[in-house]
Amino acid sequence: MERRIGVYVCNCGTNIAKVVDCDALEQFAAALPGVTVAKSYRYMCSNPGQEMIAADIKEHGLDRVVVSACSPRMHERTFRGALRNAGLNPYLLEMANIREQCSWVHHERLPATEKAKALTLAAVRRVAHHEPLDPMTAEMCPTTLILGGGIAGLTAALEIADSGYPVYLVEKAARLGGNLARVDLTAPHLDSARLLLDERLRRVAGHDLIEVLLGTRLERLEGFIGNFSATVTTGQGATAESRRLSVGSVIVCTGYREFDASRITHYGYGKLPNVVTSFELEKMLRRGRVEMKSGKTPRNVAIIHCVGSRSPEFHGYCSRVCCMTALKYAQEIKAALPGTAVSDLYIDMHAFGKGAEEFYRKGSEVKTLFLMYDKNDRPVIRAAEPGDGCDMLIEVNETLSGEVIEIPADLVVLMVGMEAREDAAEVARLVNISQDREGWFIESHPKLDPVATTTEGIFIAGTCAAPKDIPDTVAQARAAAARILGKIAKGRLEIDAVYAEVSDDRCSGCRVCNELCPYSAIEYDADRRRSHVISAVCKACGACVAACPSAAIQGRHATDTQIMAQIAGLMT
Amino acid sequence: MSFEPRIVGFLCNWCSYTGADLAGTSRIQYPPNVRVIRVNCSARIDPSFVVKALAIGADGVLLCGCHPGDCHYSTGNYKALRRYRLLSSMLGGLGIERDRVRLEWVSASEGQRFAEVVTDMTERLRPLGPSRVLSTLKTDRLER
Repeated sequence: MERRIGVYVCNCGTNIAKVVDCDALEQFAAALPGVTVAKSYRYMCSNPGQEMIAADIKEHGLDRVVVSACSPRMHERTFRGALRNAGLNPYLLEMANIREQCSWVHHERLPATEKAKALTLAAVRRVAHHEPLDPMTAEMCPTTLILGGGIAGLTAALEIADSGYPVYLVEKAARLGGNLARVDLTAPHLDSARLLLDERLRRVAGHDLIEVLLGTRLERLEGFIGNFSATVTTGQGATAESRRLSVGSVIVCTGYREFDASRITHYGYGKLPNVVTSFELEKMLRRGRVEMKSGKTPRNVAIIHCVGSRSPEFHGYCSRVCCMTALKYAQEIKAALPGTAVSDLYIDMHAFGKGAEEFYRKGSEVKTLFLMYDKNDRPVIRAAEPGDGCDMLIEVNETLSGEVIEIPADLVVLMVGMEAREDAAEVARLVNISQDREGWFIESHPKLDPVATTTEGIFIAGTCAAPKDIPDTVAQARAAAARILGKIAKGRLEIDAVYAEVSDDRCSGCRVCNELCPYSAIEYDADRRRSHVISAVCKACGACVAACPSAAIQGRHATDTQIMAQIAGLMT
Repeated sequence: MSFEPRIVGFLCNWCSYTGADLAGTSRIQYPPNVRVIRVNCSARIDPSFVVKALAIGADGVLLCGCHPGDCHYSTGNYKALRRYRLLSSMLGGLGIERDRVRLEWVSASEGQRFAEVVTDMTERLRPLGPSRVLSTLKTDRLER
């Protein structure tokens, strides 16, 4: 089998080149049988890099390409595009991951270069067996299913429906609005959350193309991008009703839940009556009265940051919105109760984003006492004695002064962080996406593809993916909507040409594969006594390929021959 | 110079390969002994891949999939587990040390865990020395 393979070694600036000897790798590759040309270049994914590959394909008549660079999860699509542009079938590419799985995890030059050579050789051996494949096409159903009716879900629903396409907006609770409906004013502009929501709620309710399903849960999701079938159930118990919805895409915007403050025992939440959470204070602010349990006006209010956040015991991450919200509370309380002293106990003040630093400065002008504490030495709250003249005393080891200070408090506000919802794992399983160790949904790429997921057609937006503020949430919701509108505009979808195929000649009709397929994509034809794969339903997991006792099933683009050649390449 | 085992890794695309990539983006260091082949699902790993790798000189084979319940294809990892158990007992019967073929669950967020698995496996294989499979099996029978 005479092949004309081009091998392209990316230096990735110095990301690869500082550990892997790219010139040596280039020379090694150039000498391999079947390799016509090998080149090392600074950034293979750049336009000049891609153009170089395309030019070589034409000039040298290359029929296969290997790119030794970053993870294929990063740029396989890019380089497939480069092949297509040069008139070569995109599946005639193989990538060797010499960055994420080599130069970034090893520091010794010699062994890392040897490993990069082995990975490249394996890719060369494998690609020789690659075959041109034509992508399938399928209809794109223009209806979108949105899970969660908070600010993200409402925004995305309007964005899509305003463009003329139908939306099912499914909300588990009995009302729309999500967590934002529990908030009074929003930082840093001090505009009302209710105003932000009301206009959207009104438009969603009156929109011809949006069907709102309250008290409704997703039970099942089957199918693939453009062609999902969702089963949703409204209500519970005997009165529950199920419906099947045909949708082309899904946006998950199921939001967050607040950290349970009673998990931190030395704050006394649930035991001391005047220790409240930020959401309980929001409730007071919306009612227009900040008061103690007894109904008295507090003379001293203390706000404690990072409750459940930035803590090795609970959540290591920053919940992003609490610092600004705490500053908002200080300003709102000072405005409502000018005689009340406000202290703000923080670890670091995270004033990121537009208008935030200015808001912090404004917050310092309203005579708030800022006390800094160390995250490993948190304040302790205890009930005061009758003679103390206050309800509680807070002991804080103040880092800036280096002194242990005791301050009086009649009301303590705990800035509870965000955490993944209790049903996040269930949602992830239903729509087939992943969670990180904290339970947040994982995006396709954290920087370059933040609203897509590893399952095509399933998008995530807002705080179900990580803590974020309202502007970021809205931006993500609109981004997800835009991605879906783009697919709808194209009309037909290109579906990966990778699926399993049964060879009629080899199939013995044993039906082992029928039961194995998680998608019921394999049918048995009783007349012909053969099984066959419904290619549009197959997701190419390969379970049947490995199981077939007659080796009658081939996984396109992951054939036994290709993988065996790759193994042999690794061991040469 | 001490013996450096060569390990072939089969990693599922959705969890373990992504986890291994995360080890990279997090710059978590581990020994360069493992060389990875990406498969869509751990259920794609045909036992003959493992045998082939051992037969042509791998000192160890590492199979990684999603944690139970987390498989992108819902149940592929259970299929991998069943095949692994059978294969493992068969290889044991052939006198191949148990540590040489290992199945581990590594999620997309477990870059650290992937590094630890590779480090641990490398350290366990070093004292075992080179695999003797090459000299005891007739490799030509394994060519497909």
